[in-house]
This record gives sequence, structure tokens and C-alpha cells, in this order.
Amino acid sequence: MTRFRWGMLAPVLAATGVAVGFPLAYAFYLSLTDYKLTSRGAPDFVGLENYLFVLSDARMWNAFGNTATYVAVAVTVQTVLGLAIALALQKQQWARDVTRAMLLAPMFITPIAVGLTFRFLLNDQLGAIPAVLRSIGISYDFFGPSNALLTLSFIDVWQWTPFMVLLLLAGLESIPRQPLEAARVDGASAWYAFRRVVLPLLTPVLTVAVLLRSLDALKVFEYVYATTRGGPGTETETIQFFTYQTGIQFFRLGEASAVAFVLLAIVLTFIVILFRRLQRSAAR
Amino acid sequence: MTKGVNALAAARILLLSAAAVVVAFPLLWVAIASLKSPAQLNDPGLILFLPNLENWARVLEAGILNAAGRSAFVATVTVAFSVVAGSMGAYAISAYKAGGSATRFGILAAQVLPPAVLVFPFLTMAYALNINNTYVPIIFAHLSFVLPVITWFLIGFFDAVPRSLEEQARVDGFSRFAAFRLVVLPQVLPGIGAAAIFGFTLSWNDMFYGLILAPPRETILPVAISAFNTFRGVELGAMSAAIIIAVVPVVIASFFIQRRLVQGISGGAVKF
Repeated sequence: MTRFRWGMLAPVLAATGVAVGFPLAYAFYLSLTDYKLTSRGAPDFVGLENYLFVLSDARMWNAFGNTATYVAVAVTVQTVLGLAIALALQKQQWARDVTRAMLLAPMFITPIAVGLTFRFLLNDQLGAIPAVLRSIGISYDFFGPSNALLTLSFIDVWQWTPFMVLLLLAGLESIPRQPLEAARVDGASAWYAFRRVVLPLLTPVLTVAVLLRSLDALKVFEYVYATTRGGPGTETETIQFFTYQTGIQFFRLGEASAVAFVLLAIVLTFIVILFRRLQRSAAR
Repeated sequence: MTKGVNALAAARILLLSAAAVVVAFPLLWVAIASLKSPAQLNDPGLILFLPNLENWARVLEAGILNAAGRSAFVATVTVAFSVVAGSMGAYAISAYKAGGSATRFGILAAQVLPPAVLVFPFLTMAYALNINNTYVPIIFAHLSFVLPVITWFLIGFFDAVPRSLEEQARVDGFSRFAAFRLVVLPQVLPGIGAAAIFGFTLSWNDMFYGLILAPPRETILPVAISAFNTFRGVELGAMSAAIIIAVVPVVIASFFIQRRLVQGISGGAVKF
């Protein structure tokens, strides 16, 4: 039985080892060297030099800050909107599958296509939305200074609210019927039943949904690449885009890997704290 | 009482209609733009015009279908391997608690890794092994995120299969593997189908790895689309056509799998 168990697991473990484990270890090694794509000689071991350099790099912290703002805005709006849409969809009977499929569609589209679509749609001269706004006397530059990051967040909302809806809809459909019916028999209002019965039962799914979405939003690259390329200035330089530039455009793989590991450390810390909290509240 | 219910129903329909418009509008807009001439593209309000297929001819000439074919190839290989390895692994984790909760957590943790961490090792290895002009690096890169998702998703489906089914098969003289392949696997086939399509869209949609790892002259679809991304208005029409080519297959696929996805996730895929 032990042989069977591990035998069945072996292909996944082997593939994960090759596709994740090895690159991860190698990336850590790279982060300790001065590896450059352009130099042919063997890379020198430089210890923590890359880390010290990137940790004192204002541009990296700027990218972290941008990413944090982006994730916070996008995920908050998605959660509220996603919950409302999931609740509405659960009750929807007419054209049920078509409605669901249509509202879930954006999450299946390649993000670069979404980014380019919005770049076009929101473009000052060629876009439909600025044209509509102009016709009612509003002039708003979606990719201008202090607006661009917010615009990127809303592109994320357009594409990924469906993911929230998908998870929350699944959560809602697995909630047992009895507590809700009991609340209704007791004469509870819809709002009260939602707040006191549905929401507590939905909390585990909600937590996972927010976590998965946040982790994914941290990786934002395509929208930046498609629309602003980090501008105006460095206002929309996100961490993934910054790493790409350091590693691919400036060929400094050692530094880029160090940035990626700083990100990984921050994310893991965040997750561990979150799990501690969850376990403590579950124990209560 | 009924008044409150009616108001709630009205709000619900309003919300869903608004959401449908917000979802559909950008896509329709792009579809319309793909039929406009360069001069017409400068007039965003123009809706009634004589459509022309010039943009479509241009993207087809630029080899967009070849790029789509390469994307489909990469996605198919990635998913085929992920489904075989993933269903075996998911079954071992679900029915035999292989590796305990550590494996479940580990699979989820793989999702946390930023692609930026993994991409440079893939790149340097591709050069070192002289396979930088093949699809091997990008397939391995895609495995790093498709395999965990498919495995994680299938655990939920295997959890829903009663253990007695397998026990009965064992009593009937099946080996453990035969019981898995001939008795348990058919039960989760719909789930495997949904997971496969979902994994396919994940691979099909990735651009970051494709940009860095795909052979430069034979690139995959998302990278090919972004190649139309220039600041000249002339390319907007062609880009729109390219976007539609990338969007249509996945939207059709999503129509078929959405119900299974909801079912699979409520069946336990969201548990830790």
C-alpha cells in the first residue's frame, strides 16, 4: 500500500521537482551571484550583495508600494462586487447557464488581450469611453499621472471579479439549507439572514478567495506591459514588471532573482500570519 | 413583504444586467474596431460604417494562426501530462492521504511563487542545455503552474467518490491500480474534463513565460498579439482582430465548463 501510494504520487512529485523545485533552488543561487546575461565568463559568488543593493533601491520599494496599492484596491472592489453578483446569480433561474457563462467569461481571456483592449478603449484620442465622457463635459485621462495605477486596478476588476463570483457561487451552493430556512421561519429579514447566517458560513470560502486573488494580483504583468510600461514616470511599475526589466532588459539576473526572493519572503510572511490567525479563530 | 421581495428582485436583475453590459461592451467594441479602416478608427463614436476585412487579412498574413497553433500545442502537451500525473497524484492524496496535509499545502504554495522567480533559471538552463529554440522550456514553465492547479482541483472531485466503490473493486479481484483506472477514474471523468479545459486556458493565456522563453521567431499567441501593440493607430485594427482570435476559443470553452467548475469547487477544492 505504501508503495502504491508513493508510486501514484511519484509523477507529480518528479514533475514538480523539475518544474518548481530545481528552478527555485537555482534562482536562489543566481540571487547570490553577479550573473549577467551578457557576460560570458563564469558568474562570481557575491553573497548577499544583491540583496543589500535591492533592499536599498528606492525604485524597488516604489514597485512594492505600487503593487500593494494595486492589489488592495482591486481585491477590495472584487470582493464586494463579486459577493453581490454571486448572491444575485444564485437566485437567477431564467437563462441560468447563459447568464453565468457570460458573466464568468472575462477570467478565461488572455490578460494581454484584456490589457490591450482597455488601452484602446480608454485611449484619450481613439477610445470610446473618453469620447463619451467628453460629450458630457468630463475630461479624464485614464493613463495620466495619479490615475494610471487606479485604471490598472479596474482592469483587474473587470477581468477577475468573475473568479471571485465563481468561488463565492460555489461556496453559496454548498451552504446547507436548514439554517436559512430556520431563520426564515423565525421571521428574520433577508438582510439579517444574510449577515448572521450566510456570511459566517461563507467566511472560509471568502478567505480562500481573497487569498488566491491577492496572490494572483501580485503577479500583475500583462496589463502594465500592454498599457503604461511602468509610466507615467515609475507610477505604475509593479514588482513583476520591475523584475522583468531588471532581468531581461538590463540583463542583471542576479539582482532580478534577489528582488523575486524578497517578494517571496514578504508573501510567505503574510501567508503564515494569515494562517495563524485563521487557526486561532477556528480554535475558538 | 412582497414589496420588499420585488424590490430585491429588481435590484438583482438590474445588477446582473449592468454586469452583462460591462462584460460585453469592451469585447463588442473590439470586434467592431477589427472591421474598421484606419481612418474610421480615429472616430470612436462611429458605429454605422461599411465593414471591411482588411485588418483580418493583415493578421492572418502575419501568421497569427500559426502562433495560435503553437499556443495550442504547448497547452495540449502541458495539459496531457498534468492530467495523467495530476489525477494519479490527486487520487493518492484524496484516498490514501499520501504525504498528509503537507502535500496539499505544498501544492497550494506552488501557486504563490512569482513567475519572476522561476523564469530566469528556466532561461539559463535552456541556454546551457541548448534547447532555447524549442518548446521544452516553456512547457516545463507552464507545468509549474498548470500541474498544481489541476491536481488541487481534482482532489476535490476524488473526495466526492465513495471509498466503498474502490473497496468493492478490490474484493472483486482488481489490483489497486486497476481499481483506480477502471472504477474510480470513470466517476471523475467530467471533473477531469473541466480541469483539462481550465488548465488549457491557463497555459493558452500565459504571456510572461512566453515572452521570455518561447523561440523568438516562433512565438506563442499572447506574445504575437502584443507585437501589434505599437503607438501607431494603423495597427489598432489588426490588433483588434488578433484579440478576437485569442478570445473566441476560450469564451466558447468557458461556456461548457462553468457548471463543472462551480460543482468541483463546491465539492471541496476550496478546502485546505
